[in-house]
Amino acid sequence: MPFDLPFLAESFVALLRGIPLTLQLTVLSVVAGGILAFGLAFMRISRRWWLDAPARFYILVFRGTPLLVQIYIIYYGLSQFPVLRNSVLWPFLREAYWCAMLALAFNTAAYSAEIIRGGLLSVPAGHVEAARACGMSGFLLFRRIVMPLALRQMLPGYSNEIILMVKSTALASTITLLEITGIAAKLISESYRPVEIFVCAGAIYLAINFLVARLFAWLEYAVSPETRKPEERRA
Amino acid sequence: MPDATTMPAVALSGIRKSYGPLEVLHGVSLAAREGEVISILGSSGSGKSTLLRCINMLEVPNGGSVAFHGETISLDQTPGRAPRPRDSAQINRLRSKAAMVFQSFNLWSHLTILENLIEAPVHVQKRSRKDCLAEAEALLERVGIADKRHCYPTHLSGGQQQRAAIARALAMQPRVMLFDEPTSALDPELVGEVLKVMRDLAAEGRTMLIVTHEMAFARDVSTRTVFLHKGRIEEEGPPSEVFSNPRSERFRQFVSREHLQG
Amino acid sequence: MNTLGLMSFGPDGWGYSMLAATGTTVAVAACGFFVGALLGCLGAAASLSRLRVLRLVADFYTTVLRGIPDLLVIYLFYFGSSSVISTASALFGAEGFVGAPAFLTGALAIGVVSGAYQMQVFRGAVLALSKGEIEAGRAYGMPSLLLFRRIVLPQAARFAIPGIGNVWQLVLKESALISVIGLVELMRQAQIGSGSTRQPFSFYLTAGALYLLITLVSGLVFRFAEKQAMRGIRRGV
Repeated sequence: MPFDLPFLAESFVALLRGIPLTLQLTVLSVVAGGILAFGLAFMRISRRWWLDAPARFYILVFRGTPLLVQIYIIYYGLSQFPVLRNSVLWPFLREAYWCAMLALAFNTAAYSAEIIRGGLLSVPAGHVEAARACGMSGFLLFRRIVMPLALRQMLPGYSNEIILMVKSTALASTITLLEITGIAAKLISESYRPVEIFVCAGAIYLAINFLVARLFAWLEYAVSPETRKPEERRA
Repeated sequence: MPDATTMPAVALSGIRKSYGPLEVLHGVSLAAREGEVISILGSSGSGKSTLLRCINMLEVPNGGSVAFHGETISLDQTPGRAPRPRDSAQINRLRSKAAMVFQSFNLWSHLTILENLIEAPVHVQKRSRKDCLAEAEALLERVGIADKRHCYPTHLSGGQQQRAAIARALAMQPRVMLFDEPTSALDPELVGEVLKVMRDLAAEGRTMLIVTHEMAFARDVSTRTVFLHKGRIEEEGPPSEVFSNPRSERFRQFVSREHLQG
Repeated sequence: MNTLGLMSFGPDGWGYSMLAATGTTVAVAACGFFVGALLGCLGAAASLSRLRVLRLVADFYTTVLRGIPDLLVIYLFYFGSSSVISTASALFGAEGFVGAPAFLTGALAIGVVSGAYQMQVFRGAVLALSKGEIEAGRAYGMPSLLLFRRIVLPQAARFAIPGIGNVWQLVLKESALISVIGLVELMRQAQIGSGSTRQPFSFYLTAGALYLLITLVSGLVFRFAEKQAMRGIRRGV
């Protein structure tokens, strides 16, 4: 089938309007999920079973079930409880926007927690001992020694997770949100021209994910000065 | 056709090998008679390993020919194209009679030691599994690692792995054995056990071509020593002659340097 | 009615239909997974080939399919094949939109997506093969096919198992998306149930629990397979 350029351009412009919502959902859920993930990661490495066990269970459940189930439980499922429907939270939980955001955040927290935990565990014991020998402890030790070292290990995995999140926001379209995929589905069902719309939407997602990957490559470069040559470092 | 027994076990003539514009072997000729033990010496980059690998066509020479017991390997050496064997069935048949022992052992890591020994005899030579197993057990006994037969290669020390690899080569009932720096990857204290096995093989009259750095071994065990320098044979003869009275200044230097290091 | 009563196997219970839907989920995921394995093998072979064109095609395939949402791919397959079918049936006098078979298009869609991931796994497994051990096989006279069957395949398989296990879990969860094109698998069945009973939480929770059960069981299977395949490998950690 020949590509109809005006139609292609028209669809492309229509799909561009979905970008802000896609990005909003991604950024908000990554930030909220990231905070939760840190908590979970610390629970996992706390060496206290009553902290470790709930975190393990949380991660197991959220990684072992489809994101779509999680979204539906929050958006459709919670309305089953009159208590919730009458609570102050209802104005939020009624909104597809907040439900999608919440589900995405809960979901990414489970995956990110394991990435963060892996990063923290990768910090060599000798480095921590050396810092303790210098009199560092507590938050200072964490902020100055552990975190910078862990960050380098975490970044590649975390970059993948964010790309997955950008893709996951597409599921918000199943609960009526008109982000990129939502608009694409609407356009397809109106025009019955799936290929052109798929190409446009796919290109937009690829562009976003390309930028995310570049951003993280740059971040990785920025936080690992020791892998660069001395002259580059000065510049 | 001449009688195969009077033919050299392996005959290389005018072997040339190049990688792109770089020629690493400039026409090397060498013949090993039945029962000869030839040690091939040379500094790194002299082309000695390449020469050995040209014998069983792991590297296909750009020029020259290789013959086993008078049977010449048929090669397509059209200039300007990568050289390749004409008949892969012939290559595989000859390879199964010229077993190779590698520097890094290359035991198949997904198979136990015993399975490593019978793999090629059963599947390439199509011999009966029962016979191969019996023979493999005996070979492992002989190289002193019978107790390891159900272990996987990674659970053995380097010396044990190399002895297992020699047993794997013997299990092929080879007419020629090719050794590519068999002790170079071993810790010094493990070298002796491998050399001992090789000494025994030489003593029973096997045809062996050995690329090595072990000067003492080359001097004491081999029937002929070949010194390769920059892709050419620089010195060749019985070790008693070449070591005591080398004609080539380079070989003299090489020997004294290796002795200092060893 | 509480969740357990709702999911009972009696005449008023939804247990039976939820269980049947679970079967459909596993079936569609398995079909998609095998389509993906096939594509993954082809892709890996192409990406490791000497031909630049093939490498580029494989690269393009895996980059694009891993960079766009699965849901979009499912829409493309469903509406794409539906419009082909509609056009074809219009020739025979039928009118309007004819939906494509959801099982087939769903399985194909997640197959194409998971193939992009499986390609990476297979590629990594082939690259992890020991060159020396393959050379030893050649030096002992193994013809290519024997070498592939006896040395390359068993070694590549054991490197691939952990990654393939992850892809299977991914496919299983992805299969929930096929509910949007109307296949009555677990997710769609839960939708139907919650629609007619007005108890969405109970239905989606049950669906979630069943998904969890499948992922846990298949996790165990893959761990066992890995243990079997990893015999003889010294682990670094």
